Amino acid sequence: MALFLLRRLGAAVVLVFVIATMTFLLMSMTGGDPARNILGDGATVEQVAAKSAELGLDQPLAVRYVDWLGAAVTGDFGRSWFTNEPVMTSLANKFPVSLSVVVTAILVTAILSAILGVTAAVRRGWVDRFVQMFAVLGFALPNFWVALVLVTVFAVNLKLLPATGFVPFATDPWRWGLGLILPVTALVVGTIASTAQQVRGATIDVLRQDYVRTLRSRGISHRSLLFRHVLRNAAPPALTVLSLQFVGLLGGAIIIEKIFALPGIGSLAVNATLQGDLPQILGLVVVMVVLVVIVNLVIDLLTGWLNPKARVS
Amino acid sequence: MKRSILGLGALVVAASLMLAGCSAGSPASTDSATSTGGTLTLGSAFDATSWDTADAEFGNRLQYMQPVYDSLLHIDSKLEITPWLASAFSYNDDNTRLTLTLRDDVTFTDGTALDADAVKANLEHFAKGTGQNSITLALLSSVEVTSPTEVVLVLSAPDPALLRNLALVSGMMASPAQLDTGSLKTTPVGSGPYVLDAAATVTGSQYTYKRNADYWNAEAFPYDSIVIKPLSDLTARLNALKAGEIDAASADAKSMAEAQASGLTVGKMLGDWQGLFIVDRAGAKVPALADERVRQALNYAIDGDAILKSIRLGEGESTTQIFNPSSQAYDASLDGAYPYDPKKAKELLAEAGYADGFDLVIPDVAGFSDLTTITVQSLKDIGIRVTTEPVSADQSISKLISGEYPVFIFSWGSSNAWQDTIKLLTPTAPWNMLKDQDPELDTLISAAQTATGDDADAAFQKLSAYVVDQAWFAPWYVQNNIYLSSAKTAATMQPQNVVPYIWNYAPAS
Repeated sequence: MALFLLRRLGAAVVLVFVIATMTFLLMSMTGGDPARNILGDGATVEQVAAKSAELGLDQPLAVRYVDWLGAAVTGDFGRSWFTNEPVMTSLANKFPVSLSVVVTAILVTAILSAILGVTAAVRRGWVDRFVQMFAVLGFALPNFWVALVLVTVFAVNLKLLPATGFVPFATDPWRWGLGLILPVTALVVGTIASTAQQVRGATIDVLRQDYVRTLRSRGISHRSLLFRHVLRNAAPPALTVLSLQFVGLLGGAIIIEKIFALPGIGSLAVNATLQGDLPQILGLVVVMVVLVVIVNLVIDLLTGWLNPKARVS
Repeated sequence: MKRSILGLGALVVAASLMLAGCSAGSPASTDSATSTGGTLTLGSAFDATSWDTADAEFGNRLQYMQPVYDSLLHIDSKLEITPWLASAFSYNDDNTRLTLTLRDDVTFTDGTALDADAVKANLEHFAKGTGQNSITLALLSSVEVTSPTEVVLVLSAPDPALLRNLALVSGMMASPAQLDTGSLKTTPVGSGPYVLDAAATVTGSQYTYKRNADYWNAEAFPYDSIVIKPLSDLTARLNALKAGEIDAASADAKSMAEAQASGLTVGKMLGDWQGLFIVDRAGAKVPALADERVRQALNYAIDGDAILKSIRLGEGESTTQIFNPSSQAYDASLDGAYPYDPKKAKELLAEAGYADGFDLVIPDVAGFSDLTTITVQSLKDIGIRVTTEPVSADQSISKLISGEYPVFIFSWGSSNAWQDTIKLLTPTAPWNMLKDQDPELDTLISAAQTATGDDADAAFQKLSAYVVDQAWFAPWYVQNNIYLSSAKTAATMQPQNVVPYIWNYAPAS
């Protein structure tokens, strides 16, 4: 186990390094001019040159890379070229927003899709058809459309929930929760649709296995059969889907973030990329990769805990 | 099994209870502002960046700075310039020395007093900075402190935009104690009517300002607090307005009908012009463009009125001028100079010796694709062989300003006449990329620069007429800035700025 964790950790370090290096090179090669972007359309060539020098862009690529890497290893990711905020501060501001939305969405997805998927698989009949229909609908409805409908109904017309904005949990847990209801609902319509389908399919597969029939013939209670045997074996595919969704939502909830004006990392990533804000992008990429590695590790451990067959030796 | 369905039912009940709970809890958060004092909540299309006065920008981001930083002079919605931190101002005869008399009762929020040395330090900080508007003090050669309450700005040449800029970005005064510490970039310290309330501010999400208790002119600002929320998405701004979460925000022509149906007030002000920049006036890349008749043909070739009507929903006015309709250089009689007339365009091309057209590459800039399609077709109709090259949004400015393209479509936020002259026309102007020069134009520019009073307006109008005649550009129309406000907020539109200044808001009576 310790060896497994250690190997994972080593792989993670290499991954972070490789991705950060590639990001640095790609961003440096795209040809955008951050100094010009900062100074806008009124600046003269001399002003742009002065700004470039201030940002260190007049240094050779290799020197800039080594400088960045040297500082990054000590945890110093520099300051955003546009807002002058330390990169770590802005990430510390934005990640809680995205994590609030995404973690809540994943938890809601896990719970509801487990309930829906298992119920559909066990009961079949009209429940199954209803779940299937919901899944198709959930797939078909784009989440930004769902979001706009939700805002119009619950925020603009009924004035029950806020239309925009995010309140940190520490400031006011109640308003934090209120602010999350609409964005999370908009996101989970799609994720529940796909995850519930996975759970349903996996559960039906397991229920058809010979050992389930054998267990049943030995008089094991239905409940014990379902929770101790079937669900354990049906969980891994669903967990994999959930982990992929988590990673996808983290950076991919950008449209939802825009509609609800949530200051999360999706908008940060897009803005920083469009502006060519290299320190900001690099900081973001490193933290994202670390997060993805952690999520995958947790899912692996969870899968192993649920299903000894999948455990690593 | 039964239980799991029961559980599902319980969950639905729980969810509806939660919703019911919300309805009881939410009014407190939406109906916060009242007609007396209260809070003004604005939605901004852009997030704040630096709080350093040296980085101050015109346009949207001005709203973040104006609550905390007072300027030396004041500009109102009629573009009239009046005393502010400087209680009096006067020029010498040839407009090269500006004397400012300062108020003696102003302190910055860190306790430092505003005096002549503080003004000098601020002006030098701005001029030497690397902010995008340091160019607005390019003609400032020195600042003389003649008494603790008097400074003289010595100019290397007259600057017709100086007073206006001193009322906006370059006249913003920060505490001299903070100028060199670098802390201003993240923490503003000014003498303005409000202070940034760090405890109620979340970067990227909400900026809260509360009254500066020691402010010398509190009556000029009716609100007890101001909140600015960056809402980059137009849909988010509209929803926030309709839900009563913000009091005012910018929008576009397409959202006007929806806004009016929701009871919002629509404000309009002519702002940006759109059209062609014809930058290769010497014919360095496309020799045909050196002939003014070819450039004039480009002006006749495109039906700007039709574009205004169909794409901009008629929200604007047709124009042929690069100067803003509210500026001193604008002359309404010039706007009929180039009606849509493809036949005339062809004749002009033939006269210039290009009856068979010529080759032209124009950039297809992200965001202008609809205009590009129309332009390409219109130019092909008069025989010019146009091809396009895609340019991504993040690279558009640097690509265009590099001078790579002899002709391109652009949207220009016109403002003060002199400001536009030094950005577009002079040989060193950043948007005169190929450094085109014309002795007659130089004469007209320097006449406009040195003229005073009514003569200045006439001189600028002659300059505008010459640029129209020489067809350095082909403007089609100047479009309306659209700004929405709630019924309880009166927002006065500001000429030459995309959003109102912070002192243009008041509770509606």
